[in-house]
Amino acid sequence: MFSEFIQLTIAGLAVGSIYALIALGFVLIYTSVNVVNFAQGDFAMIGAYFMVSLVVVLHLPWWLALVLAVVATGLVGALFQLLIFQPVRNRPRNFLPVMIATVGASVFLEQAFLLIYGPIPYQLPPIFKADSVAVFGVHVYPQYIVIIVVTAAMVALLNWFLERTKLGKQLQATAQDPDTARLMGIRVAWMAALTFAISTALGGLAGLLIAPVYTVTATMGSSIALKAFAAAIVGGFGSMKGAIVGGLGIGLIETYGATYISGSYRDAFPFIVLILFLIFRPYGLFGEKVSQKV
Amino acid sequence: MIRSIARFLPFVALLVLIPFLLPGGRLGSYYLTLLILSLSYAVAALGLTVLLGYSGQISLAQAAFFGIGAYTFSVLAVNHHVGYWSAALAAVVVTTGFGLFLGAISLRLASHYLALVTIGFQIITELVLNNWNAMTGGADGISNIPRPSLFGYAINSDHGFYFISVAVLVLASYVVFRLRHSRLGGALFALREDEIAASANGISLFRTKVLAFAVSAALAAMGGILYASGSLYISPNVFNFYQSVSFFAMALVGGQASIVGTTLGAGLITFLPEVLRFLHAYYIAVYGVLVVVVVLFMPEGLYGLLLRGVGAVTTLVLGRREDGRDEVAYLKSDAVPERPVASDRPLLEIRDLAKHFGGIKAVNGVSLTVNRGDVAVLIGPNGSGKTTVLNVLSGIYTATAGSIVYDGKEITNLGPTRINRLGISRTFQNIRLFPELTALENVAVGHYRRGTVGLAGALLSRPRGYREEREAMEKARETLHFLGFVRLDVKAKNLPYGQQRIVEIARAIVSGPELLLLDEPAAGMNHEETEVLSQILYRIHALGVTMLLIEHDMSFVSSVATRAYVMDFGQKISEGSVKQVLSDPAVMKAYLGDDVEYA
Amino acid sequence: MIGKLLGGAGMIALLCGAGVAHAASGTIEIGMIADLTGPAALSGQHKVDGAKLAVDEINAHGGIAGKKIKLIVEDDRGQNQAGVSAYQKLAANQNIVAIIGSIRSTIVQATLPYVARYKIPTMIGGTDPKLTHVGNQWVFRFRPNDTYASATMAQYAVKTMGSKNVAVLYDTDAFGAAGNALLKVALVKNGAKVVSDQGYTTATRDYTSFLEKVKSSGADTLATYMTNSEDEAQMLKQLRQLGLKVKIIGSTSIATSVCIQLAGPAVDDTYGVSDFVADGNDAAKAFTKRYVAKYNSQPDVFGGWVYDAMNVLSRVIAKDGTAPAAIQKGIRAVKGYHGVEGTYTFDTNGDGLHGYWVVKIKHRKVIPIKYVG
Repeated sequence: MFSEFIQLTIAGLAVGSIYALIALGFVLIYTSVNVVNFAQGDFAMIGAYFMVSLVVVLHLPWWLALVLAVVATGLVGALFQLLIFQPVRNRPRNFLPVMIATVGASVFLEQAFLLIYGPIPYQLPPIFKADSVAVFGVHVYPQYIVIIVVTAAMVALLNWFLERTKLGKQLQATAQDPDTARLMGIRVAWMAALTFAISTALGGLAGLLIAPVYTVTATMGSSIALKAFAAAIVGGFGSMKGAIVGGLGIGLIETYGATYISGSYRDAFPFIVLILFLIFRPYGLFGEKVSQKV
Repeated sequence: MIRSIARFLPFVALLVLIPFLLPGGRLGSYYLTLLILSLSYAVAALGLTVLLGYSGQISLAQAAFFGIGAYTFSVLAVNHHVGYWSAALAAVVVTTGFGLFLGAISLRLASHYLALVTIGFQIITELVLNNWNAMTGGADGISNIPRPSLFGYAINSDHGFYFISVAVLVLASYVVFRLRHSRLGGALFALREDEIAASANGISLFRTKVLAFAVSAALAAMGGILYASGSLYISPNVFNFYQSVSFFAMALVGGQASIVGTTLGAGLITFLPEVLRFLHAYYIAVYGVLVVVVVLFMPEGLYGLLLRGVGAVTTLVLGRREDGRDEVAYLKSDAVPERPVASDRPLLEIRDLAKHFGGIKAVNGVSLTVNRGDVAVLIGPNGSGKTTVLNVLSGIYTATAGSIVYDGKEITNLGPTRINRLGISRTFQNIRLFPELTALENVAVGHYRRGTVGLAGALLSRPRGYREEREAMEKARETLHFLGFVRLDVKAKNLPYGQQRIVEIARAIVSGPELLLLDEPAAGMNHEETEVLSQILYRIHALGVTMLLIEHDMSFVSSVATRAYVMDFGQKISEGSVKQVLSDPAVMKAYLGDDVEYA
Repeated sequence: MIGKLLGGAGMIALLCGAGVAHAASGTIEIGMIADLTGPAALSGQHKVDGAKLAVDEINAHGGIAGKKIKLIVEDDRGQNQAGVSAYQKLAANQNIVAIIGSIRSTIVQATLPYVARYKIPTMIGGTDPKLTHVGNQWVFRFRPNDTYASATMAQYAVKTMGSKNVAVLYDTDAFGAAGNALLKVALVKNGAKVVSDQGYTTATRDYTSFLEKVKSSGADTLATYMTNSEDEAQMLKQLRQLGLKVKIIGSTSIATSVCIQLAGPAVDDTYGVSDFVADGNDAAKAFTKRYVAKYNSQPDVFGGWVYDAMNVLSRVIAKDGTAPAAIQKGIRAVKGYHGVEGTYTFDTNGDGLHGYWVVKIKHRKVIPIKYVG
């Protein structure tokens, strides 16, 4: 019983880390350019497919492939924002059109990759060859541990970047007040591109981390993304800390719920939690109540 | 009104004619099935015209409502042998209930939160429809769904059902059309454009949002019933997220707020994959690109573009009608209207009002009295808390302490909607007009609180409803003319700043308020515009309206105000006539600081 | 106003242009709806491949009574509505004498009203028993339905594998849910106890929670009714990772090449039921050889049943002509035809096959054990 619980917890934290990475991407884009990117999950898919090409086809060592795949995904993300976001960047009330456009873009991306890579799921070999390691009767799948550790490292890296580097501070400044930032000589358009690039790169990383566990398909991103979005809101939609806690929390709730309550409704649990939060605590766990200036 | 409905007739005629234009036999049957399908989708998509187009609420749950309607109907009609029309009615009622629920929980949510809640609702509904075997029959679906019978005649043929579907579409269009032109339509638009201004004009955000969701759900249910009865078989996998996106695309292609456009959009989106069969696997990708392109570059949708094209061609061929109403004629008059003498009867009493934002004490114990007939002005340096006082007064903020008494009644912490209904109107420091509405439409919304007819009345075309709508428009026209404004049909976003201000004031007085609150009305205006503004305020004052305004422009203030209060650091530091306070050393100190020598 | 009229009329004109049927004598046209796009596009491709193989072979041998077969395929996109319009489009072509329908029971059910209306002999591959038991005389099933699958699974599990406590895992879609219901009944009937019954949503990626419940239920056997080969493979891999020691018997997806390819060693030593087995009978062996030669990949059930359907159809037409009623009668009269999927003998409901193979997967190969039927 107890070992079962531990196993579930590890699985929940692993899938939760994936949600957290993608949720972070959502929050980054939202806080900097006030836009919701519904195609966020598809960048997980893109990252995973790039990894497949680099590892399975080109046989590159995994660490090199990882870096290349993440960077490549970020570049695609920058291109994406160029096509979707830049044309309407300065239009007032562009929130809704951009959001809907990202839905359309999501459909397009999924189809495009389906056509390129074909419908059979791809296998990505896990980073450690061992299938699973038994620790005190608990079967631990090494890839889960890898996911959790890499996510933690990534969050720390992102935090360091934003808080301690000049570029990171510029990014924050642009997020808080683009006009003043522009007056300070910061290239706001480049900052937007950079934000999208980082955010989608995070998504790509999430995708290639979970790919050995889930296999790579064209639709793998969209279901993850919606739950990650819910996680971001539950955590408090402007807060990076919230995205992480929310992501991990949703991963655990989903796993426990599927086991102890109902497996068929597994996909419903994140949304039930979301709706409850939105009824009783709309600002989430760590969100701030932002008043509008009247 | 008859004229507006006549606009739709050619389109309805086309719909009725289509079956006769089709090839016969099985090929015609193939097209007819697709047409029936398009009609059922169109009815559901009209729900989004109301929800998204009119009230600006993002919902990706339309397929869920569509499914709940289809399933409720089918379960009742097939499994429980309930009569066709009773089952249909029950289905609409049940689905509307869910719409009310979703609308109710959406109250405090901004767009992306709302979108996600609706997605969550969509996903949960899909799962329930699929897994609740006892109720829905589960993944296997429900077969043998009946077709309707009218007056004892069974309408089983596809042709017959097509005409029934057209009738339902016409009915649905009528509902949406009536809603749009009723007082509630104005409320929906106001909700979309600016929630704060909407509530300051007496519109209950909660009830309006719930209404929008309820109507949207009801229409989706009607569409779902048509779909079920048309296809004779339903299974849960049909009512999924992609179907919601599809409905969304239909509304977008039509330009969101257009009834005809949405219907054409439904037809286009339904037929497009059929026409694109030659594209095989690529058509979904094309679809996605289409959504992106339309949304980003054609906000009026393909239909809007089409209309514009037709308009351009017509202008080319027939010439443009000269519009000689470009000049704004401000009614200048040398005669100063007779202004009432300020009375001693208090209209508004503010006692020890305090408003704290966390540690910041924006208003820290302010008391003042405005008598009937006063034109009181609140002045003070920036950051002294003037706007905060006004915002608490108008119900946008809640007071931390103190009380506000209006006409002898305690009104502290009533919301903006209630305050408006008591006869208190306001304008905003950053002009809050409804940008996409014309000047006339903006002002008509200001008349909202005077209306009484609700949804049922609007839909049933009660004469009183029509009367109220006409009255609102007439009063709006009158008010604008009264203020010297003639460009009634220009969209607010296209008006220059000074004119926007005038329209905003018109909107605030059209319902005949007793107390008018103005937050820096002269801000950003040049000398001439300020002159015109003074004239306007005189005229309003002559009507008997009491005013409390915040201002910085001292000459403007001197000419209009009968009484002045000065605030600094959240407290009142002086009061009296304008001349008095301006010579008060405390006031000068507040503005100029300590080191100046006072003459 | 003018714009609306023009737009509407233009749309009609455009649509009438599409969908003109070509008349051609000297050929026999047979229609087929298939998932060319959509989530099951791969199986749709196999379906087309199997059908084309049959058509090419028949045409190479002179066609049907001297006339060549022309196969016309329309995309059903794996969706109900698209399936209906694909079917209708084919039906609108008056030259088409028979239609090969879908393998998905929801699409079949959506098209049934039109099958009845147009009276076109329609061949289906869906295994939901209901499909041939609704009184539609024009539907013919070219795969054994799920009553046989579940009976075979249950019988083999209890009598041969020695299962006493069985955990069942099923896909909550139409196929899995219906199969699960039948399987549970069959297991109990054979004397086993169903200690766990869990449904998952199609394309679930993480089976940990389900497998933990299987573990804690104390089951000695896991019986699965999973629709997608990908899901089956995923589940098997995670089952091995969690160190579950249970006997495994699955429905047809466990024995597909996709499942075996994706699952790798995880699928070894599992049992399954399958209607298509490459080594099952002579017809299957011959078919496999020719399929591999032509397409350079392994065939599966998606191509197999269609190959049979095409061959049966051509035999019937050669004997009885192309009139729909004649074809209908002819198919029902087929007895003892040795096809790839087994021996076809049609009953009054339109079911042609009545048994399943039990197979074992060992060293990534599907080994037929015995035929129950």
